[in-house]
Amino acid sequence: MIRYILHRFINMIPLLFGITFLSFGIMKLAPGDFLSQMALNPLISSETIELMRKQFGLDQPWPIQYLKWLWGIIHFDFGYSFTYRVPVATLITERVLNTLLLTSTAAILAWLLALPLGVYTALWRKSLFDQILSFFSFATISVPTFFLALLGVFFAAKTGWFPTGGAISINYAALSPFDKLCDRFHHLILPAMVLGIGGLGSLLRIVRTNFLEMMRQPFIMTAKAKGLHSNTVTWRHIFPNAINPLITLLGFEIAGLLSGAAFTEIIFAWPGLGRLILEAVMSQDLYLVMGSLFMGAILLILGNLLADILLATIDPRIKLR
Amino acid sequence: MLNLTSIFIISGRLETIKYFIFIISLIFLLGCPKKEKIPVLKGSETPTYGGSFVLDSISDPKSFNPVIAKETSTTMITDFLFEGLTQINPFTTDMEPRLARSWEYSPDGKIWTFHLRENVKWFDGRQFTADDVVFTYNDLYYNPDIPTSARDILTIDGKRIKVEKVDTYTVRFIMPKPFAPLLFALGMEIMPKHILEPMVKAKTFNSAWGVNTPPDKITGTGPFMISEYIPSQRVVLKRNPNYWRTDKTGNGLPYLDSIVILIVPDQNSSLLKFQAGETDMISIRGEDYAVIKPTEAKGNFTIYNTGPTFSTTFLFFNQNPKAIPQYKLRWFTNKKFRQAIAHSVDKETIINNVMAGLAFPQDSALTPASKFFYNPDIRKYEYNLDKAKSLLQEAGFKNKGGRLYDSEGHHVEFTLFTNSENNQRVNIGNIIKSDLDKLGIKVNFVPIQFNTMVTKLDATFDWEAIIIGLTGGVEPHNGRNVWHSSGQLHMWNPRQAKPVTTWEAEIDRLFEDGATELDKEKRKKIYHRWQEIAAEELPVIYTVTPAALYAVRNKFGGIKPTSLAGVIPYIEEVYLKK
Repeated sequence: MIRYILHRFINMIPLLFGITFLSFGIMKLAPGDFLSQMALNPLISSETIELMRKQFGLDQPWPIQYLKWLWGIIHFDFGYSFTYRVPVATLITERVLNTLLLTSTAAILAWLLALPLGVYTALWRKSLFDQILSFFSFATISVPTFFLALLGVFFAAKTGWFPTGGAISINYAALSPFDKLCDRFHHLILPAMVLGIGGLGSLLRIVRTNFLEMMRQPFIMTAKAKGLHSNTVTWRHIFPNAINPLITLLGFEIAGLLSGAAFTEIIFAWPGLGRLILEAVMSQDLYLVMGSLFMGAILLILGNLLADILLATIDPRIKLR
Repeated sequence: MLNLTSIFIISGRLETIKYFIFIISLIFLLGCPKKEKIPVLKGSETPTYGGSFVLDSISDPKSFNPVIAKETSTTMITDFLFEGLTQINPFTTDMEPRLARSWEYSPDGKIWTFHLRENVKWFDGRQFTADDVVFTYNDLYYNPDIPTSARDILTIDGKRIKVEKVDTYTVRFIMPKPFAPLLFALGMEIMPKHILEPMVKAKTFNSAWGVNTPPDKITGTGPFMISEYIPSQRVVLKRNPNYWRTDKTGNGLPYLDSIVILIVPDQNSSLLKFQAGETDMISIRGEDYAVIKPTEAKGNFTIYNTGPTFSTTFLFFNQNPKAIPQYKLRWFTNKKFRQAIAHSVDKETIINNVMAGLAFPQDSALTPASKFFYNPDIRKYEYNLDKAKSLLQEAGFKNKGGRLYDSEGHHVEFTLFTNSENNQRVNIGNIIKSDLDKLGIKVNFVPIQFNTMVTKLDATFDWEAIIIGLTGGVEPHNGRNVWHSSGQLHMWNPRQAKPVTTWEAEIDRLFEDGATELDKEKRKKIYHRWQEIAAEELPVIYTVTPAALYAVRNKFGGIKPTSLAGVIPYIEEVYLKK
């Protein structure tokens, strides 16, 4: 097992190299660069733009820029953001916790609801509850998250029950520790629900389908024929088999934790990373985009590894070597 | 949920979002009234101290260093913290003293002497003196290691202005030749020498005062100072108790205790936040007007229409002989052809359908917002397809079977670009296309990515017609890069070694004269003449300029509509009514 994990970590290096090389190349394929926006400002001369291009190192051929960036990464230096002129690492760490708080709350919410509801609707297929839930999940799948988010803000503004965005109140500093916690929670509920509901629908469908599939398997029929109690059949035999593919999905979910909430963050004015990355992509703030892509890639690889280990512990048929 | 790979296609999705939002706003808009009178201010109250003013900004400040960072979400904050020697009077658009108390210039106009205020202190209590001014210009703005666009404004014919100290409160600016835009240029922020000099010497100035700097280290002279910055959430500014300005009765300014700027990246959320009473002021988009107007009384706020802005949107043709087929060049360089196109731009429809009724037709190269230099008596191009047809006929074009041909038998057809990120421009392009269709001109309208368009304009020149916009300002000289034939933004035919046409030669001359003429009225005449030529020759065909709308809670005093500074001419004079 330990050998296997070590092996995976060594494999990570060429993989990360490939991912970053491709991302860098794709960023460079886009026309123009960070300074193109300034070209149409009558008050900025082309000489000034050239001077800035030189200072940012953007005048060199891109493979050299890439190698320089890579050299920095090896020394844990993510480079400077063009827009903010502060280290990329500073910008990312400021926001990463907020994003993780929002996305993991939403993910936990979605998974905790999807598992029991999925199992329930599979067991009581075609019941009224199943049909209502089916309608609900298809509705949440087809409505884009940003629209749900807009509805959420609208709801907050109209009822006044929730703040219309942000992560803390204006008077946060003056609150007692307990009130601070409440304040944070109060701001978290709506965006987490919007994001959670957005993910819930498809998860629920997957749980339900997998469960139904397993129920039809011959070995389940055998178990039932042997006279096993239906609870035992459901939880000992169907459930572990049915959630196998979900564990792989969990791996991807971990990768989405960092970048998965950009639109919700924008609409709820949530001080997260997704917003920062989106702005960076729009303005071609190269190293900021690369820094966050790099972190996303690492999370994706780690998430997959975690999923594989989980699978091996749950499913006796799978052995890691 | 979005995953990692989606980051690459986000820009595409944003379009979809805008589309959805557009549809939703449309639903809200149905049956709502348009264009109402501007409300006039109620009687004056006596100002009181205290209170907080809550605004929002679409994006984080990028830095607290106004020398380096010049984009709007940054200057929105730094404008509260730093001051220049001069400032623009928001009502008259004249230049008025700020950190400088007064000035005079030598008869030849080359030596300007500025007398500084003696009661100005930096946030840390140090006295503001001539050393700070000399340092700011010589070691920051003119420092070749510091990338600042400010240098371009301060450079006259490639030469810099000599800045020297006369005594503690007097500085002298010595110029290679008289330079009328000087007072405007000196509106640039003055920075504290005692704090920044070590950073300049250590070559760390370019990343100095970034967003990760502790707020109490940022030192200016302005009415407010930073008390707190929480990334992506808010900036809180507190009153500068030592601010130099006093009101009429000698009481210290500013009145407000604090200003809170919430960072709200989505404009719909921003509107909802205002409606929920969480912010005190908001700038309203035309399409939101109908939504917010009915709640004016209930929300206890007033909507102000500050009139035309400096923002322009225009269509222009490629007149660069190197880049397009000769016969097309002959159309585009034909004045009558351009005038005919100008007569087929339906400004009324654009205003009503694209700008939600909140815009003004524009004919002059300056918008009415630039008050002093704006010339209202120029040739105007109202929407008139018959006039357009007869102009085309005069220019030798013939209409056969609904298609327009030139005298050599070429069908008149061109490609029109605009940047796809800007919905308004895309909509304006569609309206123009359908009207030109009626003249028998085929327009292939292709919205493209902004950076691709810039490359075409700036380097490859392979375009035929483009719709874009520029934002102007009070000082007409700032348009030199666009209007002087040698300018890189002289977009229809940039970087000419010497002017190709006689009218371009005359405009060049006018811009050179305008920069050296110190007499205001004579200057006005010069720039009026330029607007006349521009309207006659039409290198760019203007469409409409949007109105600016603001909503402010009624509990605040000191709110006055101006075309230059929105509804807050002087932030230090804003107060909470009791």
